[in-house]
Amino acid sequence: MAEVPARRAPPPPPSTATRVAAVWRRHARVYADSFVANATPAVLEPLFLLLAVGVGVGRYIDAEFNGLPYREFMAAGILGMTAVYTAAFESTHATFVRMRYQRAYDSMLNSPLTTRDVFVGEILWCASKGLFYTAIVATVLAVAGAISSPWALLAPVAGFVTALAFAGLGFLFTSFVTNITQFQFFFTAGLTPMVFFSGLMFPVQELPHGLREVAYATPMFHVIETFRLLVSGPSHASVPWAWACPFVVVALAVAFAAAGVRRMQSRLLR
Amino acid sequence: MVLTADAGFRRDLVRSPENGGVSASAAPPVVVLDGVEKRFGDLVAVGGVSLAIPRGTCYALLGPNGAGKSTLSRIIAGTAPRDGGSVSVFGMDPWREQVRVKTRLGVVAQEDGLDEELDVQHNLHVYGGFFGLRGPELHARAAALLAFMELGGREATRVVALSGGMRRRLAIARGLLNDPELLILDEPTTGLDPQVRHAIWAVLRRLRGEGLTILLTTHYMEEAAQLADVVGVLHRGRLVASDAPDALVRAHLPSHVVETEAQDVAAAPPEGAIAERYGDRLFVFHDDQETLLRWAARHASGRTLARATSLEDVFLKLTGKALDG
Ligand SMILES: Nc1ncnc2c1ncn2[C@@H]1O[C@H](COP(=O)(O)OP(=O)(O)OP(=O)(O)O)[C@@H](O)[C@H]1O
Ligand SMILES: [Mg+2]
Repeated sequence: MAEVPARRAPPPPPSTATRVAAVWRRHARVYADSFVANATPAVLEPLFLLLAVGVGVGRYIDAEFNGLPYREFMAAGILGMTAVYTAAFESTHATFVRMRYQRAYDSMLNSPLTTRDVFVGEILWCASKGLFYTAIVATVLAVAGAISSPWALLAPVAGFVTALAFAGLGFLFTSFVTNITQFQFFFTAGLTPMVFFSGLMFPVQELPHGLREVAYATPMFHVIETFRLLVSGPSHASVPWAWACPFVVVALAVAFAAAGVRRMQSRLLR
Repeated sequence: MVLTADAGFRRDLVRSPENGGVSASAAPPVVVLDGVEKRFGDLVAVGGVSLAIPRGTCYALLGPNGAGKSTLSRIIAGTAPRDGGSVSVFGMDPWREQVRVKTRLGVVAQEDGLDEELDVQHNLHVYGGFFGLRGPELHARAAALLAFMELGGREATRVVALSGGMRRRLAIARGLLNDPELLILDEPTTGLDPQVRHAIWAVLRRLRGEGLTILLTTHYMEEAAQLADVVGVLHRGRLVASDAPDALVRAHLPSHVVETEAQDVAAAPPEGAIAERYGDRLFVFHDDQETLLRWAARHASGRTLARATSLEDVFLKLTGKALDG
């Protein structure tokens, strides 16, 4: 049997930043181990959408939307969808699997990590993935000629904030889930209608009165309008008050992230 | 139980025959519980437990399924709140000062909680990061611990490809990564084959010899007897007895026992004996082996066994319930 490794002086307690960063690095490590399998669907899905609808159907659509050719109109929605789905999946299904089946958090809590460290690290990881995927998809959209403004360089930042907001929402939902099949509800009843009726496929102004106001009230509308400001500029906005949308997204990110982390913390404690 | 004294690490330990061999002189105990309670709804999982674990000793919580072993060890490890009583670990409240306490603890949980998405060495590297350990120092320590736990050469193996015994050894290596002052092991050998179990016992004895304070939970009577300076018998959330293993046996039962089939015995037990009946088995305890054997030769029939009294018998007497180990 080998020697017992020598005793060192007791280590100082790690700082909050160190602990949160260590959680982030754990997720990054796991992710890096299976990068191709992980990243491919998240990036390909929005691109298929662009190809199928933007190029396929879009060819038959002569009309301009918000003063943009259809392909360019869709760019903002595709970016929003990328950030939203990335964060939503990571904070629901993936988080639940880690919590319930892999029991990954139980052993984290046996280290100096607190429940807050665990979920702050995790939500920052969700947001980072949002940033990363938005950057990749924005690059492809730019190459495809669907982006016209240099402000689009800030799209990954919007992706980060958007992902933070939707990961917070995902956490709120996950904190009530008892069975993994319930996530189906979150996606089909929550996200999908929000994505398709909040300015991805067609301008929200086209919706009849009543429905239109509902769309304006969704977080998704503000996300897509924020991306539209960045990739196409304010002259192609859907509403005159579009300048307010980035602020709304930031406010939602702070509120949802804080509430989501707090709910998950209490879910983890017995 | 006699401590094999080795100078250096355990200067704070003094041998004294009166109290079973262990006492802490200068240093305060590493763990002190006073009236600790924990409820889940109406269920009392821990019902007022008080104990102290001196530095450099091994304490075993012995109890059947559902006794509250895991709950109590989580409370001590700072991962679960309590409903009453006080807990001190390194002089701090582990729930209020989680980070400071957990930095100095090693924990091997009942479900090993290894990261199945990572390979063996990254399990250690990532976990070390949670303690603020990084870089070459962490990597060297991880490699040394893998060698110590006889997992050298397995660095790049995925956790899912490890046997149960290797998983448990990796979990113990992980628990030692921060060079803890207190190691908490929740049922460290449950479900492992005897060979692996003995290997793990050897490791724990070795660590104990280095001066590490150990708290382990178990439902194996033999494990408690082999490793512990003090055994606490936990029954339905209460500590029904605690002492050095052999003292526990001496205090509660005579030194020898004959086990026989209850329905075959009509005769009264010999004078001075204690008879206990559990299910269809009759246990007759007596300090004099000769007397016991003479009685057995005359009255016992069916499957009969004469042996020295063990911790298991004490457990049966105290709780009326067999250990399932
Ligand atoms: N999170 C919980 N919610 C409700 N009841 C619980 C919870 N955790 C434990 N219990 C109950 O508390 C009691 C003590 O459980 P605990 O897990 O501490 O026992 P144990 O001695 O570790 O048992 P085992 O040998 O099965 O691991 C049991 O009756 C158990 O069902
Ligand atoms: Mg248990």
